Amino acid sequence: MSCNEVNISRRSFVGKSATAAAALTIAPGVFLHTVAEAKPADQAVTSAVRWGMLIDTAKCASGCTACVSACNTENGIASHDRPRTDQQWIRKVTLRDKQTKHEISLPMMCQHCESPPCVDVCPTGASFKRADGIVLVDRHICIGCRYCMMACPYKARSFAHETVDNTVDYVPRGKGTVESCTMCVHRVDEGGTPACVEACSKAEHGAMLFGDIKNPDSEISKQLAEHGGKQIRADLGLNTGVRYRGL
Amino acid sequence: MQQFQKRMHNTLITIAGLALLAFSAFAFADEDSSEKLSFKPDVPHPTNGTTECVQPEDEMKKNHMNYILHQRDETMHEGIRTKQYSLKECINCHVPKNSEARFGDDKHFCSSCHNFTGVSIDCFQCHMDRPMNKAGAQKPLGKNPHGAHISAPVSTEIASTSANATSNEGKKQ
Repeated sequence: MSCNEVNISRRSFVGKSATAAAALTIAPGVFLHTVAEAKPADQAVTSAVRWGMLIDTAKCASGCTACVSACNTENGIASHDRPRTDQQWIRKVTLRDKQTKHEISLPMMCQHCESPPCVDVCPTGASFKRADGIVLVDRHICIGCRYCMMACPYKARSFAHETVDNTVDYVPRGKGTVESCTMCVHRVDEGGTPACVEACSKAEHGAMLFGDIKNPDSEISKQLAEHGGKQIRADLGLNTGVRYRGL
Repeated sequence: MQQFQKRMHNTLITIAGLALLAFSAFAFADEDSSEKLSFKPDVPHPTNGTTECVQPEDEMKKNHMNYILHQRDETMHEGIRTKQYSLKECINCHVPKNSEARFGDDKHFCSSCHNFTGVSIDCFQCHMDRPMNKAGAQKPLGKNPHGAHISAPVSTEIASTSANATSNEGKKQ
């Protein structure tokens, strides 16, 4: 626990420094990279970066759903009180070891695979991977067949069964199409971080780290190099962009 | 010879008649366009003081769909988020803030003409048909990775630019 506290204070120190530094256009650590590489609006994304996440299950508090509610608010996702079919882009999962009774809690969402099965099976090309590794659904092309939902080993995608009334202008969503975590692509393109990561940081858990896993100097790459990060269902060889520690 | 002259005479009369007809048609056409007739769509103009569109009006009338479609694919697949031809900016400019008109109403900018021409579009099954109320909804705060807008929306914070948010954050320290 004391280890956690040290990390929390470190996290908030880094966060505050970066925010203050952003105003001075000098940013230390992880955010130097993020701020410096904010893509100009008229340039296409490239494969020079690959966006990823590292989730530390030891810091993820069971019962905390800050990431889920932040995602819902950010993307205008509302419940119809039908848990089996309601859209969800991120959910909290609790894993319990039957033998030791040890429980770990983690957020589960689109893993932004390098070889995404959802893209393989899509008959129209609506499911696609951007050059920077973010896996998306082009709802203009999606016919709502839901093959991708069946193909996804992470149960990351959901289908909009109902007319969406509460869309936000930066995340257009509509009935009859499949949707999933976009890694808050509208924020990332402007140099920001996903809403869930921000919420986790704000809730002082700091369990989620977002960054460019191709850049060896980014905080996420350093953490991955030092401590490693497991893929869920690594046996499938999908090379996920979202990695977990403490599994 | 007499026959030829007669034929010439007839031809001249015909040409004169045609010219008169053509002239009157043009005259009427002019009259049509100068008057505001009931069978023209009543397209509401931007209310924010903007007088020029991103392209000349005639060009936009004919080809707005191509600009939007092109931008759509670039934004979706390549992350190009320029504002010039984005549908969001069309709406922000052409539909007044807090407008009651929804797509489908004759008073809505897009549907005023689309209803008239009978061309159905499905843009607004997903996209917002009016500008987002910035005070009441979430807004990405651009370059600030710690923009404070996670919990219940607070109008001042949400409406502020990323620079303001940064300075707010600085004050909290």
